[in-house]
Amino acid sequence: MSEVKKRGKMLNATNKLKNEMGRHFLAIEQAYRDGKPTAWATAGTPVEFLYAMNVQPMLPENSATISAALKKSQDFIELAEEEGFSYDLCSYFKTNVGAVLSNADMSLGGTRKPTFMLSSDVICDTHVNWFQVQAERFNVPHFTIDVPHVVSNTNNRQRDYFKKYIKEQLWELLDFITEVTGNEFNPERAKEVALNSYELGKVWQEVFELRKNIPCPVSTRDTFGGLFPLFTMTGLKSPIKLYKRMYREAKERVDNGIGALEQEDYRLLFEGIPFWYNLRFFSNLERWNAIIVYEPYVYAFTKYTNPNLTKKMVIDNPVESMAELVLSFWYIYDLKTRFEKFKETVRDWKIDGVLLHNNMSCRPNACGMYDLKRKLMEEADIPTLVIDSDMNDPRKMNETQVLNQIESFIEILRKRKKK
Amino acid sequence: MKKIAYFDASVETPEEIILAADMVPVRLFGNPTIGIDKANEHIPPTHCVWARNILEQAINGLGNDIKGMVCTHGCDCTNREFDIWLECVNLDFLFFLNAPLKRNEISLKFFIDDIKELILQLEESFKIKITTEKIQLAIKKMNQIRELLKEISELRVDMKLKGSEFHALVKEIQQSDKDKMIEKLKLKLIEIKERKPFSDENLKKILLTGSVIDDTEFIKFLENVGYQIISDDLCIGSKYFWSKVNENGDPIKALAEYHLNKPIYSTKFPSFERFETLKNLAQTYNVDGVINIAQKFCEPVLYGHPYFNKKFKELGIPYLFVEMEYNRESYKQLATRFEAFSEII
Ligand code: SF4
Ligand code: SF4
Repeated sequence: MSEVKKRGKMLNATNKLKNEMGRHFLAIEQAYRDGKPTAWATAGTPVEFLYAMNVQPMLPENSATISAALKKSQDFIELAEEEGFSYDLCSYFKTNVGAVLSNADMSLGGTRKPTFMLSSDVICDTHVNWFQVQAERFNVPHFTIDVPHVVSNTNNRQRDYFKKYIKEQLWELLDFITEVTGNEFNPERAKEVALNSYELGKVWQEVFELRKNIPCPVSTRDTFGGLFPLFTMTGLKSPIKLYKRMYREAKERVDNGIGALEQEDYRLLFEGIPFWYNLRFFSNLERWNAIIVYEPYVYAFTKYTNPNLTKKMVIDNPVESMAELVLSFWYIYDLKTRFEKFKETVRDWKIDGVLLHNNMSCRPNACGMYDLKRKLMEEADIPTLVIDSDMNDPRKMNETQVLNQIESFIEILRKRKKK
Repeated sequence: MKKIAYFDASVETPEEIILAADMVPVRLFGNPTIGIDKANEHIPPTHCVWARNILEQAINGLGNDIKGMVCTHGCDCTNREFDIWLECVNLDFLFFLNAPLKRNEISLKFFIDDIKELILQLEESFKIKITTEKIQLAIKKMNQIRELLKEISELRVDMKLKGSEFHALVKEIQQSDKDKMIEKLKLKLIEIKERKPFSDENLKKILLTGSVIDDTEFIKFLENVGYQIISDDLCIGSKYFWSKVNENGDPIKALAEYHLNKPIYSTKFPSFERFETLKNLAQTYNVDGVINIAQKFCEPVLYGHPYFNKKFKELGIPYLFVEMEYNRESYKQLATRFEAFSEII
């Protein structure tokens, strides 16, 4: 292992992310002061509709990552386990249960009682079960969107009635929000929010486009943190400005041939949720002049990845477009599409090796990973490594072992480069 | 006769459609006595063992009679693993049926659309015609089975029928030719009714719930500890014959309605409503206790446990929750927990 430790460069704009997060939390405080309706929402739900209907969203998953970053998640998780929730359940969920039980402040990952909860099974069953547990405790209404499961042999005929089903539920959701909050759906406001959401996603995609360059201008130091507004503030204007600044800075780096790493030897793809309690882990890669240039998990939340969906469609028909979007989400691709998408990404982002996080919390994401690895290696000749860990539960991370695995993996990449 | 297998975490596969295609529906079960090395090459070790066990059998081959498989929307495991089946199981017909998560008019319409798609794909693949009349006939047949099973199940309460014998019977029906099973059930009903009740002095009357419990040996093991399962809300149990399908009107709609009107599964929303069903069963049958079994890593049941624990405590009904490995050695290791529960109830 190289002794020299080089520090990767973070974009200056990323420092402003704290302000953006602060803005989000202030908005929540303000909503409670003003008596404005609030809602918990799970990742993958149409947060845009909440903004469009003047409901302040809160995303407990993001709050859970804050607990982890502050080294608080384990305490919360253990509290949830004392309540009877199994060691094997999702650690975001348990972090949230523990944080709520201990009345944790928002700055530590706590989340206040909302007016209602909004979940969906688009990504996982956990989302639905999680909010069922918490909605029962807080005694608040809970709406869930059932998204049919797209598999590798789903045909277009099926996609059509899947979409119809989702669309009907989205209209039902709007009625539900009106019933619970009294706020009406305003189509003009919905268009404005859809446009902001679209732009936010697109600027972030452009940042990713810049990462195709060698050397890569942006590392995980910017992307993992930069993800926050995509979850929580999609539909607002302010994060677009921030992303544009990130883009401009990254572009300047590209124009000047500057990379996020001083010396870039290996370009990697990291699939899955990062270890929020140990983000330092990713700077370890710099020891080997390795940089992560693509994270499907981060890219997935740019939402607008379906080429059939134009800006005009998104703005003119926000509800219809949303139905299409939830069916074509990177994070839930069926195995066949996932494999094709990986191959394409590896080619376009000039990736040397793939790291797959077999996340013990996230069975839906981990499922199929072994086959993905085999296919990438055998059918596409792409070195791939599976790492076993967990995104929020430090008890499930063996750092030394994982680093040793990565070191051997880099050695394989080194030998391949020499050939 | 050709067979179609179904992989279902609950029992929401409309078997009538397969029957109407002149094929035998065969529910897939695990086998706790086998190793699952091949499945482990596809699925991480922290995922449901039961589902991995079935994949192992499928990779090894389900037999020449089985011409296809329907996987019905259940939990994240069954749903996500379907793509792996497509990769490594040697069957020409594989269909994923999206039994909806929710229960309302919108999801009913969707379920009808999805059942129609199943029919279409069966017709296309096997070059057959599934007519309304055939579905109606199949519904009649299945309703007869439901009715017979319901009557037989009550004989558990009368202490004429062991829970394990009943369990084995339901399993057999889910895998066999239905016409033959109707004849068998009719005879069985007469035969059991004539039995003298076994002594129930020391038997604790139990309501059993939880993940899919498909090893009859496990039920026997509970009986050896001193329990008699007199009621359940399981898919190899009352969920299979809870009510009947409406025999009038559009049969596809009737099938969808039947499945959405049954007491809810732990895999569906809002699964906490299961508590009402369990409470009613516990009170109707005046059970001594409720046992909730989670297969290792079975998220739907793991999420529900603390709520049920709280609710049964409030009701003053003894409740035992056990997370179980899917192998017979582990039953023995759990013996002390079951014995201790038996002593306190
Ligand atoms: S980590 Fe996975 S299981 Fe947990 S909430 Fe996120 S998507 Fe769901
Ligand atoms: S036992 Fe639980 S985890 Fe396994 S397939 Fe059934 S519902 Fe899913």
